[in-house]
Amino acid sequence: MGETFSWWGILSAIGVLTGLGITFGALLGMVSERFKGEANPLVEQIDALLPQTQCGQCGYPGCRPYAEAINQGDAINKCPPGGEMTIHALADLLGREPAPLDGEAATDDSVAFIREAECIGCTKCIQACPVDAIIGAAKQMHTVIEDECTGCDLCVAPCPVDCIDMLPRAKPLSQWQPVFHTTPSLIVSDRASARSEHASL
Amino acid sequence: MPAYDFPGGIYPPERKSRTSQAPLCAAPLPSRVQLRLRQHAGNPASPCVAEGDTVQVGQRIAKREGMVSANLHASISGMVSHIDDEAITIDADGLDKWQMLSALDWRTASPHSLLERLEESGLAGLGGAGFPTHVKAQVAGHHAIDTLIVNAAECEPYITADDLTLRSYPHEVLDGAQLIAKLCGARQIMVGIEDNKPQAIQALQHVLTEQQHPIEVTLKVIETRYPSGGERQLIKKLLNRDVPSNGLPVDVGVLCHNPGTLLAALHSVRDGKPLVERIITLTGGAIRHPGNVWVRLGMSVAELLNHAGLSRERLYQVISGGPMMGTPLFTLEMPVLKTTNCLIAATRDELPPVPAESPCIRCGACESVCPEQLLPQQLHWYNQTEADDTLEKLHLFDCIECGACSFVCPSYIPLVQEYRAAKQRIRLKRIESAKSEHAKHRFEFRQARLAREEAEKQARRQARLAQNRQSTTGPHAGPNTAPVADLRSLRIAQTAAKAAVKKAEKVLARATEQAPNQRHDDLEIQLATAQENLKAADTRLAEARAAVPQKEAP
Repeated sequence: MGETFSWWGILSAIGVLTGLGITFGALLGMVSERFKGEANPLVEQIDALLPQTQCGQCGYPGCRPYAEAINQGDAINKCPPGGEMTIHALADLLGREPAPLDGEAATDDSVAFIREAECIGCTKCIQACPVDAIIGAAKQMHTVIEDECTGCDLCVAPCPVDCIDMLPRAKPLSQWQPVFHTTPSLIVSDRASARSEHASL
Repeated sequence: MPAYDFPGGIYPPERKSRTSQAPLCAAPLPSRVQLRLRQHAGNPASPCVAEGDTVQVGQRIAKREGMVSANLHASISGMVSHIDDEAITIDADGLDKWQMLSALDWRTASPHSLLERLEESGLAGLGGAGFPTHVKAQVAGHHAIDTLIVNAAECEPYITADDLTLRSYPHEVLDGAQLIAKLCGARQIMVGIEDNKPQAIQALQHVLTEQQHPIEVTLKVIETRYPSGGERQLIKKLLNRDVPSNGLPVDVGVLCHNPGTLLAALHSVRDGKPLVERIITLTGGAIRHPGNVWVRLGMSVAELLNHAGLSRERLYQVISGGPMMGTPLFTLEMPVLKTTNCLIAATRDELPPVPAESPCIRCGACESVCPEQLLPQQLHWYNQTEADDTLEKLHLFDCIECGACSFVCPSYIPLVQEYRAAKQRIRLKRIESAKSEHAKHRFEFRQARLAREEAEKQARRQARLAQNRQSTTGPHAGPNTAPVADLRSLRIAQTAAKAAVKKAEKVLARATEQAPNQRHDDLEIQLATAQENLKAADTRLAEARAAVPQKEAP
């Protein structure tokens, strides 16, 4: 009698616990599916800090591959378009020491310009452009969509007739940044002369 | 007097009597005007005349571009002599021939035709911000508006343009207010005016007692304190409503308009006259005949000030706008804009140069005068290290740039200038990051396209190979173990790609629903990328299936 009773007890305990396990397992599974957070692994965060010029100067075919390489332990100072700012941001994110930039710093924001009279329509630049910013067809003139160009200059080298120039990009007046000295580095007499220069209409 | 109040504020010397007692007159016709394409908030207008064209006053010379923009009209008759990216120049022929639109009766005209007229006339807020009036009226379509506020506070020192407008045209301004109130469905109109304009108050009271208005008008006289003319401050003072951070007055059911804008709105509807002239206060110790004048837009500041008797020897600086929020001009070869409400030709004694800046002593004077209850000191501190995230957390973008903090600072720190620079810096950063985000999506799309093309090429090659093999050796099973394992992963990849397409479609649909008028380039590119990926996965799967047809068959 006692034996059957204990069997029953054991079975019911196993049943209840299995039931609980299944119920809560299903519940947790559902919840994790339902309230799944936006995944933002480290590669994404690194990629977000890169300037997305897709210029390949780091030795990788684009910013995303470089972000993956940094995540694997590559150096953080290989991005000339990003410059010091990007290196510091990456150093902050990854807790590494900021290193001086490897290579020449990019000068100003530039844009590719095709001298259309000289273009022979070879499509080499179109194939080189990482962001599809050049339109044209074989034996037809090519041209650059200014708003889409990232100024990576990857199209300059493949051009067989050297008809692509990198021109400084025109900044609209609305994007003017006031030159404003917050650092009180001027001594008072300098300041007075600077002011009178401004004031002379 | 209303019982409500806004925090902070200052009492700068008013210096209004010099111009408020002179009669309103008209400036002479300019011999040449330079009409800037961007005289309003938003996108610049695009020219619709060519060099050499003859134009009449009121003829449209530039068309609005995009959602937030305003038309531009010739302000003198003559010949278009020059057009560039910034402005259209017209040489006058001296005839002053007008081209008017048809007159409308605002009481009977349909709201649609009124809106169209406001848009056609190129109206923009004449108080200083220059927000296109028809856009403001349309914004009211999405929100319930119950009150129209006529912002006649004119709290900045020196300026008396609104004062003179109200004294000279009280009927017209109130009719214009009725027009706009009818258009946006407001149930009441409130005129907020500071108690330093007794003549304007009297004129308004006179009109209110003798004339019946369909929508109830209340005149509220408030204490003279800077910056009571800020819309957030005026709404707080008149209605005790707080405009939320990053919000607009429409969020609390209020629309604010400047008396000058209302007058121009009435002129454009009643008389069919586009915005080609405005009232400007000419003042300062360096001119002999201060006062308010009707000026054609685009007239040169130098010509205008010379007409008012500018003495170059006494002139120290010219400020466009008020002394608190205006900008000093570094050249007088500037045209008058739709937003130019005042020109101060100041002598050195009047607006002396600011003494040298010294370090912040943490006195807290700026905090007690800030009408937005920000922490100017903290903003100053974090701006020095360009800690932009912290600046945004401290509500930098709620700063109305009134300049009260700079006015009281005992260390003469140019606080408001710092905040303006910081705001612009953050705005540029946002533009930059939006651009890089866009480039990233285009790069990803290209990668997907190349992968799809590669997969298709591979498939074609396989098909050709299979055909060759069939024709030479007959059916041949070949080593099937590797493709089977591949098949499963390919099917998983295809399902994932399908899910990605669905997700991208959903996101795009939601965004389009929320903001139907905006373009969602990046989302569209993301969808196209997902579609390319799906195509590549489909091709690869089909290719693998073709290689092992017997295993796939159920």
